[in-house]
Amino acid sequence: MNKKKTMQDKMNLQYFLLVVPGMVIFTIGVILPLLLALRYSVTSWDGMSVEKEFVGISNYINLWKDANFRQAWWFTIKFTIANTIVQNVFALLFAVALDSGIKAQKVYRTILFIPCLVSAVIVGFVWLKLYSNVLPELNEIFGTNINFLLFGDGKTVLSGLVIANNWQWIGYWMLIYLAGLQSVPSDLYEAAKVDGASAVQRFFNVTIPMLAPAITICVVGITTGSLKVYDLLVSSTGGGPGRASTSVIQMIYSTAISGRQYGYGSAMSVTLVFILLLVAMVQVKGLKSKEVQS
Amino acid sequence: MAFIKRAGKAEDVNQKPYTLRTFAVQAVMTVVAVLFLFPLFVILNYSFKTKKELYLTSPLKLPDSLQWANYETALKKLNLTTTFTNTFLYTVISVLILAFLCGITAWAISRGKGRIFQFSFIYFVIGILIPFQALFLPIYTIGYKMHLTNTRYGIIFMYIATGISFGVFLMNSFMTTVPLELEEAARIDGCSVVRTYFVIVFPLLKPAFATLIIMQSFQIWNDYLLASLYVSKKGLKTLTVAIQSLFSAQASDYTTAMAAIVVSVLPISILFLSLQKYFIKGMTVGAVKG
Repeated sequence: MNKKKTMQDKMNLQYFLLVVPGMVIFTIGVILPLLLALRYSVTSWDGMSVEKEFVGISNYINLWKDANFRQAWWFTIKFTIANTIVQNVFALLFAVALDSGIKAQKVYRTILFIPCLVSAVIVGFVWLKLYSNVLPELNEIFGTNINFLLFGDGKTVLSGLVIANNWQWIGYWMLIYLAGLQSVPSDLYEAAKVDGASAVQRFFNVTIPMLAPAITICVVGITTGSLKVYDLLVSSTGGGPGRASTSVIQMIYSTAISGRQYGYGSAMSVTLVFILLLVAMVQVKGLKSKEVQS
Repeated sequence: MAFIKRAGKAEDVNQKPYTLRTFAVQAVMTVVAVLFLFPLFVILNYSFKTKKELYLTSPLKLPDSLQWANYETALKKLNLTTTFTNTFLYTVISVLILAFLCGITAWAISRGKGRIFQFSFIYFVIGILIPFQALFLPIYTIGYKMHLTNTRYGIIFMYIATGISFGVFLMNSFMTTVPLELEEAARIDGCSVVRTYFVIVFPLLKPAFATLIIMQSFQIWNDYLLASLYVSKKGLKTLTVAIQSLFSAQASDYTTAMAAIVVSVLPISILFLSLQKYFIKGMTVGAVKG
């Protein structure tokens, strides 16, 4: 008994030595920056000078009053909610459609997936050109009068970005739903059919509950991904028109780098990290409780 | 026959009959696929047009002849040999190290017994939820102080650091697919811990590695934020950063920009298409059951 214990201890030590390198890299690259952000967020540092004056929580108080920061959050939240709903619904619909026995399922899967291999910076640029140069051409062909210049107006810029973002990511999440659908045992459907459940009933009472783990992954992934939006804006709207599409990360960038308010920008970072953590945890908790054990 | 088909391609099995409704679904999905392909068609179409065609003809019209000259200009303006090599190097080295590290870390965490391993797992997993994009300021400051900025190893280090938590999480969910008895048998035969991993576990994790490699490659290949912060020096730039500066320079004459886009998207698409089979399998085990 005693000998066995020391054997396990020895192995545990070896296992732990294997964990250490990854942990050190992760700590330096991610955890340390988080601690630094916390520290800078209570200073009025400009990012260059030697002195970092301690200002307490006044940066956070100023954030609360900052109308631009509120606007950046408001845009980011609207963008996130729209994406979470649209992307989940369409990803799931397309997955169900592809799983319904249509021919050449793989071809569709590949076509829908490919846009997510394109860098978001490029996606932004391509949709900028689509809205301004290509789609208006359709008006001439069909004699219609649809306003395609979505990035030009503060009222439509959000829809324009949501469309571009969905084009890029629907295929990715669809793949996860598809994987989930294919692991649902078919006898469950048979049983439901025997019990006289209609297709719609089967969808809501068999498919959805069985897909719960996939739904958790997709909802959390899309929400946290959208809250971090930045690349997509760089080459499309640049945050405009005005500040209509300035996201939180973009505002951190302009505050700290161009505006030289490093301490203030760090406070924004800390706020974003904590809201993201909070949202993700609430979602995981809420969704996990609805998951059934298969 | 039916059995053979099922055993051959599990994901293709559809015992569902092809009815009128299936046909309708097929038609709708075809329209959807065409809509999804449309932007890609626009990119390709523009990349082959002359400047004259760009301004005078409809954007939907095909070019009279294929203008490879756009590609030549794009290659020159992007400094393609350098930017492509840089991006390729950063991606391949980071992803290989990530695969190596995440595999062995996740395995050690799942096989070690005790609180310290549970804590390690939670520590890594919390990292998935910490957005490095929000922390780019201190990430830059730390890199600057440690002389990591504007170096090749610096950016590679950051890609590894920011990718490791997701990688460990993903690889960990595959560890249940490795039968413990095999490992124990190897141990009895006198295999050391590290050897057990490389001889027994490593070969069994192929689908997991394929999933990890694809998911990390396209993120690193397409990364803009870290690359624009860490490697802004001319000889070290990546494709995405070079393309972004090309966009602002070529805002009105974008045939060149579109050719550059094609060049940057091709390698990663080829990687995806060739590893697709493993990737889909990996998604099923890793993402859904994890």
